[in-house]
Amino acid sequence: MSKNIFKISVGYVITFLFIITINFFIPRFMPGDPFTYLSSDESGMNVTYSDEEMQKYKEYYGLNKPLGIQFVNYIRNVLKGNLGYSIILNDEVSKIIISRITWTLGIVIISIIISCFFGTLLGAVSAYNRNGLIDKIIYSVFMIISEVPAFIIALIFLFYFAAYLDIFPLSGGFKPFVEYESSFENITDIIHHGVLPAVSLSFINIGNFYILSRNSMIDILQKDYIITANAKGLNKSRIILRHALRNAILPIVTRIFLSLGTAIGGAVLIENVFKYPGLGTLMREAVFFRDYPLIQGIFLIMAVMVIIMNLTADIVYKKLDPRLK
Amino acid sequence: MKKIIIYIRSASPIGKAAFLLLTAIIILSIFGSQLSRYPHDLSSGKSLEAPSKDHKLGTDDLGIDLWAQICNGARISMIISLGVATLACGIGSFIGIISGYKGGIIDYILMRFTDMVIVLPQLPTMIVLGAFFGPSIKNIIIVLSLFSWTRIARITRAKLLTIMEQDYIKIAKGYGASFKYIYLNHIQSQILPIIVLCFIKTTGKAIVAEASLSFLGLGDPTSKSWGLILNRAMDFNGIYFTPYWKWWVASPLIAIVLLVVSISLIGRELENKYDFKM
Amino acid sequence: MKKELLKVKDLKISYFLDSEVKEAVKGVSFTLYEGETIGIIGESGSGKTSIAMSIMGLLTNAKIEGKIIYDGIKFNTLRQKELNRYRWNEVAIVFQNRLDVLNPVLTIREQIEEVLKKHTMKSKGDIKKRVKELFSMVNLEEKWLSSYAHELSGGMRQKVLIAMALSCNPKLLIIDEPTSSLDVLSKREIINLLKSIQKKNNISMLVISHELPVIQELTTKVEVLYLGHILEEGLTRDLINNPMHVYTRGLINSSCDINVYKELWGISPKINLKSGNGCPFYQRCVQASKECTQKLPRLSYISIERKVACNKGGIVTILETKDLSKAFKSHGSKIYACKNVSINVKAGEVAALIGASGSGKTTTAKIISGFLKSDSGSIYFEGKEIHGCEAMRKIHGIQIIFQDPFSAINGDFTVEKAVKEPLEILNIGSEEERKAMVKKALQDVQMPFDNEGLDIRCNTLSGGERQRISIARSLVMKPKLLIADEITSMLDPSTKANILRLLKGLQNEKGFSMLFITHDLPLARKIADKVYVMNRGSIVEEGNALEIFNKPKCQYTKKLFKECFHMTV
Repeated sequence: MSKNIFKISVGYVITFLFIITINFFIPRFMPGDPFTYLSSDESGMNVTYSDEEMQKYKEYYGLNKPLGIQFVNYIRNVLKGNLGYSIILNDEVSKIIISRITWTLGIVIISIIISCFFGTLLGAVSAYNRNGLIDKIIYSVFMIISEVPAFIIALIFLFYFAAYLDIFPLSGGFKPFVEYESSFENITDIIHHGVLPAVSLSFINIGNFYILSRNSMIDILQKDYIITANAKGLNKSRIILRHALRNAILPIVTRIFLSLGTAIGGAVLIENVFKYPGLGTLMREAVFFRDYPLIQGIFLIMAVMVIIMNLTADIVYKKLDPRLK
Repeated sequence: MKKIIIYIRSASPIGKAAFLLLTAIIILSIFGSQLSRYPHDLSSGKSLEAPSKDHKLGTDDLGIDLWAQICNGARISMIISLGVATLACGIGSFIGIISGYKGGIIDYILMRFTDMVIVLPQLPTMIVLGAFFGPSIKNIIIVLSLFSWTRIARITRAKLLTIMEQDYIKIAKGYGASFKYIYLNHIQSQILPIIVLCFIKTTGKAIVAEASLSFLGLGDPTSKSWGLILNRAMDFNGIYFTPYWKWWVASPLIAIVLLVVSISLIGRELENKYDFKM
Repeated sequence: MKKELLKVKDLKISYFLDSEVKEAVKGVSFTLYEGETIGIIGESGSGKTSIAMSIMGLLTNAKIEGKIIYDGIKFNTLRQKELNRYRWNEVAIVFQNRLDVLNPVLTIREQIEEVLKKHTMKSKGDIKKRVKELFSMVNLEEKWLSSYAHELSGGMRQKVLIAMALSCNPKLLIIDEPTSSLDVLSKREIINLLKSIQKKNNISMLVISHELPVIQELTTKVEVLYLGHILEEGLTRDLINNPMHVYTRGLINSSCDINVYKELWGISPKINLKSGNGCPFYQRCVQASKECTQKLPRLSYISIERKVACNKGGIVTILETKDLSKAFKSHGSKIYACKNVSINVKAGEVAALIGASGSGKTTTAKIISGFLKSDSGSIYFEGKEIHGCEAMRKIHGIQIIFQDPFSAINGDFTVEKAVKEPLEILNIGSEEERKAMVKKALQDVQMPFDNEGLDIRCNTLSGGERQRISIARSLVMKPKLLIADEITSMLDPSTKANILRLLKGLQNEKGFSMLFITHDLPLARKIADKVYVMNRGSIVEEGNALEIFNKPKCQYTKKLFKECFHMTV
């Protein structure tokens, strides 16, 4: 078993090295000097650097050293947690990321809970009423939803629930410039801000959960023990929840970890729709101002999270499935 | 051509509707400049005009006709998505076929490489690549293709593995058939529907991905796609508090949804046709 | 050293017909030692009876060349009168049992007594006593002595004929078809009778019969006669168990007494009598080559006590494998799927490779056809070592038919394309030639071969039909060896029967050899000439199908058969 995990991990370690390599080489493969590029007037913003600043960054990158040494230094820095220095925020990239990551992880995890719960449940209902009207309706709705990009859904939510109905705040993660009277108020405010981003983010994965649950339920519902349960005269909900869903839970658990990976990527867009103060919004700002160390840092963190999630999914899958033991 | 017509005839009503919609958008993308009265890149009215007879979808903050922008955006979306689908299907099916046909060590290496790319978080990586390579249509196509071929490679490989298992392949190989012979006679006809399906699905995915990148401001600023229109609109301060969003945000948004949904419905129609699930 | 009783040397018999001279026997030589029994077998018209008649000097209107030497006397130069001294006294004949062999208006007694009168100078009383003696010898009641031929049953008549032949205590008895047209019980009785007579009186016999059981029981040595030529000679037991000439094998396979289990198949009858001076059997021979049209093979020794007249030295070995081994790794240990497997398949033979699933049969088939590489050992096809799929890639090579007819044929192909595939890949023939070959093959497998039939898509065909297409695809390559790997296991019983009959019929007609791989023992029993039993990758028993199925020696085989046939061994 541990041998298996080791085998799987090797693949991911290689992927990780691959990501680091991308991160390292991309700025170096760019045409021309990255700093002339950096200081050029690209995005309409005036980001020019003085000679002194240029020197600082060049030294920071160690661009005068041979490529091999640069690479080794880079890896050493990354492993130490030193991700560089942000230009726009004038702070260490790692520090900035740590301050923002909880926001992202918050909506990601909540979105997974939402999509997993509703997707699985509706999938089970759909499977139970297979080819019936309810199944057809739910199925079609999910088919369309899963095709529409989540950020479009987020935009629709934003304009409908926030701008039009005004029941949720338009942007941000909390009310600015407000002193909270109690931590309870603080929490409600944060939840209030987080609902729309989390719900829209859940649309990224809900379709997957739905299909997975529906398929495995259809499979399970044809098994003999379900026929037995039906024969015993149990009611629908008990059959679905106690007998069938318990068996279907295995692939769903695996899917949770895989979904975390996708959700982190999706969060980048959703956060930007709501100007939510997570890594995604930060990344866009970094892109907008061409703050390369920051872009690279965020990318690296996100990539590592996704890889860890995939690895976990792989291991959990192998652990849970008795056939693979 | 005849075949296509027969396919459409045999499709479900929803499939037919989706096909009609897609045809309309394609026509829009080809004849966009003829269909719109105003240029898509120059101001032709007051800024932020509401939809009227003159400007069917109103204007943006610079007074550029939105209908013209949507038509032009359709073209850009089409170019990018078709480019990506072509490139991705080319690379993906090539790797998939080689991997599945050759098997052994070549298969192992190619598939490990594919796995590696699959694990990469798509959007963040695309952002990084997009940010560094700079926004141009060509770069966007390349970046998007880099992530789209993996699934195609896996699917074609899986199909090829099942084909290669067949005794008729073993027999043909026994007779000394070349790769070319086996590919043309046994593989192509079976793999082509799958590639067509992949092509359609990739087109849909590419449109979404391009819109996402543009929405983040990483699109090619000289060729304004639907995502970029959205991006500009969302960057407009206080867009929520004005009625402008009703045309400025809604029109690219609806356009994206319609295109993506119609493509996916056509894809689904084909899936049922070939009885093949991705 | 035994005494030569009868020596026939280079005997040629020609009949003068109305306008032409017909050669019936063309240089036959054999020797009969005292106390020995020789059988002559062959199809009708092969000249068996002519030989018998010529020895007795009974042929009229015929020219006899060569020598017939009885006990040092050249029979065929004697005049009738001189010959009469030996006839019946020394050499007697039991004629083929026909109604008019006996005179219908004379009583049996009269007909027997007259020979005794002629050849022995005994008194009337002695003769009467002798007749009674003879009747008891052949187990006939005396009351029949006074009846007429038509009053007797066939078996009785045969006994009378035997009694008559024995009347003067001949040293040599020529028996022509002693059991033809008798029922089973009478047959048995006659055979037993002849056996006991031979034992008691130590008579030498020359038994002419096309019924192999008679030959098997009565003779020690056999001559196989075809169109006046002896094609094979050998000890009866050996020859029947292991025929070395294609013709002999054909005769044996056509006999339901020997082939208790197998389906019956005659030798393919494409016969438009011999022309030129090649091998007489050439036109019907499955292994004939060009050489055989030119050269008349001579009867010569191929082993002790066995002579064969064949340009190829008897039935050739088409396939021979030597010590094939193949191991697969599993959990770190080696598992032999096939260990030192040596088999050989002769031309026109059906060899069955049987054994439980997982015994390595399919691995062996795959190695032979080249789809799998063996770890060690070698394969010889027509005497030449082959590697990989090379034998599959040539006309007259090895072809294989797989178990799953759906997997073996691409369903998208039309029938024509599927059958034509090997020709296309190997670039054989022009487009029209290919089409003609395809049509022929389809005709052979009894599938429609008109243009409409050629355009049928294979995925609309049933399993049995697809298996036929599979066979047709092999047939276009005119294989000499067909490997059939469990080809019927996925078919329903009726389709299975049809496919098998078809295949066996084709094999009989085209003369290819088959290596038939199956776990279906009753099936193997039905079609195999030779059997290899495989267990855990090794051949545990091999040999003649009949022997193995009747008397398996190996414990594993016994167990297998016990389960399968509820046989108590």
